[in-house]
Amino acid sequence: MKRKTAGNIYTVLVFIFLYMPIAVLILFSFNSSSSTGRFDGFSLRWYKELFSDAATLEALKNTLILAVLSAAIATVIGTLAAYGINKIKNKHLKNGITSVTNVPMMNPEIVTGISMMLLFVFVGGLVNSKTVLGFGTVLIAHVTFNLPYVILSVMPKFKQMDKHLPEAALDLGCTPVQSFLKVELPQILPGIISGFIMAFTLSLDDFVISYFTVGSGFETLPIRIYSMTKKRVTPDMYALSTLIFVAILVLLILSNISGDKEKKTLTLKQKKRRKIVLVSTFSVIAAITLGLFIGTSFAEVVTVNVYNWGEYISDGSEDEDGVASVDTNKEFEKYYSEYLSEQYGRKVKVKVNYTTYASNEDLYAKLKAGAGGYDVIIPSDYMIERLIKEELIQPIASREEITNVIKNYDYLLRAPSEGKTLTKEEAEIFQKPFYDNGDDVYSVMYTYGVIGIVYNADHVSEEDIGGWDLLWNEKYSGKILQFNNARDAFGTAMYKLGVNVNDPTAEQWQACLNELIKQKPIVQSYVMDEVFNKMESGEAWIAPYYVGDALSMIYQAEQRGINLDFYYPTDENGETVTNVFADAMCIPVDVSEEQKTHAIAYIDFMLSVDEKYGAPAIANAEYIYYASPNRLVYTNPDYLATLDGDEEIIYEPMSNINELFDKYAYRNLSSQNLSTLNSNWEALKVESSSFNGTIYVISAIIAAAIIGYIVFITVRKRHRRKLYWEQSPTVGTKKSSSDSSADSLSDTVTIAIKRSKSKKD
Amino acid sequence: MNNKKSLLQRAAAAPHIVWSVLFIIAPLIFVIYYAFTDSEGKFTFENIANLSQPSYLEIFLRSVCFAFLATIICLVIAYPIAYFITKASPKTQKILIMLVMLPMWMNFLIRTYSWMALLEDSGIINTVLGFIGLGPIHMINTEGAVILGMVYNFLPYMILPIHSVLSKIDTRLLEAASDLGCNHFQVITKVVFPLSIPGIISGITMVFVPSISTFYISQKLGGGNFDLIGDTIERQFQTAYNYNLGAAMSFILMILIIISMTIMNKYADDDGGVII
Repeated sequence: MKRKTAGNIYTVLVFIFLYMPIAVLILFSFNSSSSTGRFDGFSLRWYKELFSDAATLEALKNTLILAVLSAAIATVIGTLAAYGINKIKNKHLKNGITSVTNVPMMNPEIVTGISMMLLFVFVGGLVNSKTVLGFGTVLIAHVTFNLPYVILSVMPKFKQMDKHLPEAALDLGCTPVQSFLKVELPQILPGIISGFIMAFTLSLDDFVISYFTVGSGFETLPIRIYSMTKKRVTPDMYALSTLIFVAILVLLILSNISGDKEKKTLTLKQKKRRKIVLVSTFSVIAAITLGLFIGTSFAEVVTVNVYNWGEYISDGSEDEDGVASVDTNKEFEKYYSEYLSEQYGRKVKVKVNYTTYASNEDLYAKLKAGAGGYDVIIPSDYMIERLIKEELIQPIASREEITNVIKNYDYLLRAPSEGKTLTKEEAEIFQKPFYDNGDDVYSVMYTYGVIGIVYNADHVSEEDIGGWDLLWNEKYSGKILQFNNARDAFGTAMYKLGVNVNDPTAEQWQACLNELIKQKPIVQSYVMDEVFNKMESGEAWIAPYYVGDALSMIYQAEQRGINLDFYYPTDENGETVTNVFADAMCIPVDVSEEQKTHAIAYIDFMLSVDEKYGAPAIANAEYIYYASPNRLVYTNPDYLATLDGDEEIIYEPMSNINELFDKYAYRNLSSQNLSTLNSNWEALKVESSSFNGTIYVISAIIAAAIIGYIVFITVRKRHRRKLYWEQSPTVGTKKSSSDSSADSLSDTVTIAIKRSKSKKD
Repeated sequence: MNNKKSLLQRAAAAPHIVWSVLFIIAPLIFVIYYAFTDSEGKFTFENIANLSQPSYLEIFLRSVCFAFLATIICLVIAYPIAYFITKASPKTQKILIMLVMLPMWMNFLIRTYSWMALLEDSGIINTVLGFIGLGPIHMINTEGAVILGMVYNFLPYMILPIHSVLSKIDTRLLEAASDLGCNHFQVITKVVFPLSIPGIISGITMVFVPSISTFYISQKLGGGNFDLIGDTIERQFQTAYNYNLGAAMSFILMILIIISMTIMNKYADDDGGVII
């Protein structure tokens, strides 16, 4: 009795462990605030928001389509394969095929993912295409890892089937097709169904393999969740997970109930009814998928694929007071579909496929991998320089033509500062910035800003702030965040040491690396968009970040009663030394002429202040807190009023932006510097911050214990086998074979019997 | 006629064979190709040589240790629970197994993210501890948190195969053993445990392989301070754009896994007589 209670308690504890995060997730899906760490009251707000979150619903739809398609293809190929393999007589060939089939099952997912990515990239290189990765490649990858599971569940059915049955059917007058449909198929059907369901489930939940093989414009739910967990997960994702959880729970309960009934013998009628239910369920699923699929591919839809930084556009989310911001992408869809419909004289739907990246380097790697298919990307200055050099982006128009192409282009103007007139060159800095000042225009500036340091004013004392060394202050060990991208992270060390960020010497590179290695033990983590959550929740206290995001953090944190502040670091002379950057909209080189017109329309729209469509340029500036180079924006009194004093920080660099760009902007590094930067970054990343021997010692002890135990068992077994042979030679000659479990069973029991006997003696 | 027909029947496997060659074998060849070439496509051992630097060796060692500990902890937690589940009535058993499987249907990213909210210094567990007057315990961004994440995510993969083996054990064997004088403990160690080794072996494989190659868990719960093999590979492909180094790392990971599997299989052959 006692043992049973202990067992029950243990079981309950394990289940608490398994369900604790899920409970947290369900609880916070009902949170009234956007926090995923503090419960502020019950509300259904996030469920409401979920159903207006087009991107998430789209991702859900994509995931379902992908899962059904890949499972269906895998089921067809797999069933055929199981049938064929079963007929193969040559044992070696059979084994060979089976072991190759099982490779994706045994290999770590990441290896499967990257191996397929390498194949696709290579093939893309061969056909000189920059857009290999996409829906097709994910589909191929999913079919590949689904196949072994389908074969695994169908194969036994073929093996179990009585070979004579189809023969008998043929003898009795069936045609081969009839014999297959009436005799063989019904017998293997359960295997096929379970194979399909397994494949469907695996595909539905797969993240790792999709992550490496997915391209632009196609986001599955796990991929979307991944990019969300990189910044902040909005509770509407929790709401979706809760709904999925409940749906699966209900399904499992239902199947459990029907499974109980299955045991009873069914009458023919019941069987028929079950068949009808089964067939109709399948056809409903198929119809829905087909409908979704047709809906996406055959109606006239213009899609614009936009790849932007995280948290870098006004996205229609509500603030704490429940006031919704403008969803600029949605406004563009509205505007452009009206425009095109009028133009073409028929209804055209416009869709913005909006995905995000965390750093310039991520964007670059994606572009290089051939995950193209983006129509608009928004890299930073130095990256634009590099992309132009490597011919990865195309000219939008020539400099003379640009104002005809981008109607709002002329509003990119610097404001004259008080009492000083600007030369033409100075005024047009936003049109002809250092990274793009040739005869062709490659980029249209989106925002500009400065890197500064955000800190928690409740914990960081005033005397410590001011310079870059705050990031190295051991007093705040474990509360400091650092950039998770090479350029910005090394930038912090370079500014601290007073090194030229665009051309350091070899010694300076080494000094910076040492500086960052020195910093590593006190860094809580290396982050990009994760910084929002960590600073706003008070989990971290100090972080270098871009000004707009910093202000947005300060505002969000204020709502939660956390007091953040921000400064531009200065050197010992009191002069500000930090990075000034600009981000601009560009069009990748592989974008077709037709897509390019849509991309240009999108870029132009982002500069517009048309009230009819929510004044996108102003809405974005208000939402993301970055300085806009657009005169229509920064002179707008309503907009300035919403900034409530922050405009002084945001627009401070404007007064001498030309000099600042000259002095503080990152430039594209020489290839030698670039490779030093990359290898140094790698060196920093793999450097172990804290060598904690305990883990290794524990592992070693356990490993030693296990090896010792195995040796002990083996020796004892050998000894015993000797005894066993001596006592009962007749049984003993039948060497305990290793592939018959029945034998090892009897073996074990005999041993058990012997042991107990010897004990009695 | 007959020969033709059987050829035709065997040809049913053809699409699969073509698919396997194109999308299983060819990609693996590319991993090896990239692992032994430089960015210009020239043959080199440099990538592999690079990985013998102490810092990379530590990554390998760390990954192996973390995965090993996670596997052991999973086994220690899973075995008793699998055993207790088999002791329940068939109906309860079905429900309990369903409950074990249910979390696997939820996206693992979001469950891991949810652990962050639990483990943070200002997180839920520490808030609760604060209420009962216990000081905040630093949990996130430690080795323990990473291992916990692995154990949490892969525990069902250990419970299920062990349970499936345990539930198939002929109860008459246990009765025979007790009749013959085994006490309860002996029944477990002498009869139940040896018979369940096949389940343990497949459980170990199913936990160890994903643990050693994970990259998400360590980034979220380890704060990027404990680079594992998976993290390093992921970085080469997604940010650093160094496919050659990433491929070399994957190549070594594959070899590591093949070695561990072979060792496991050898012991499995000796002990339980099961080849996975």
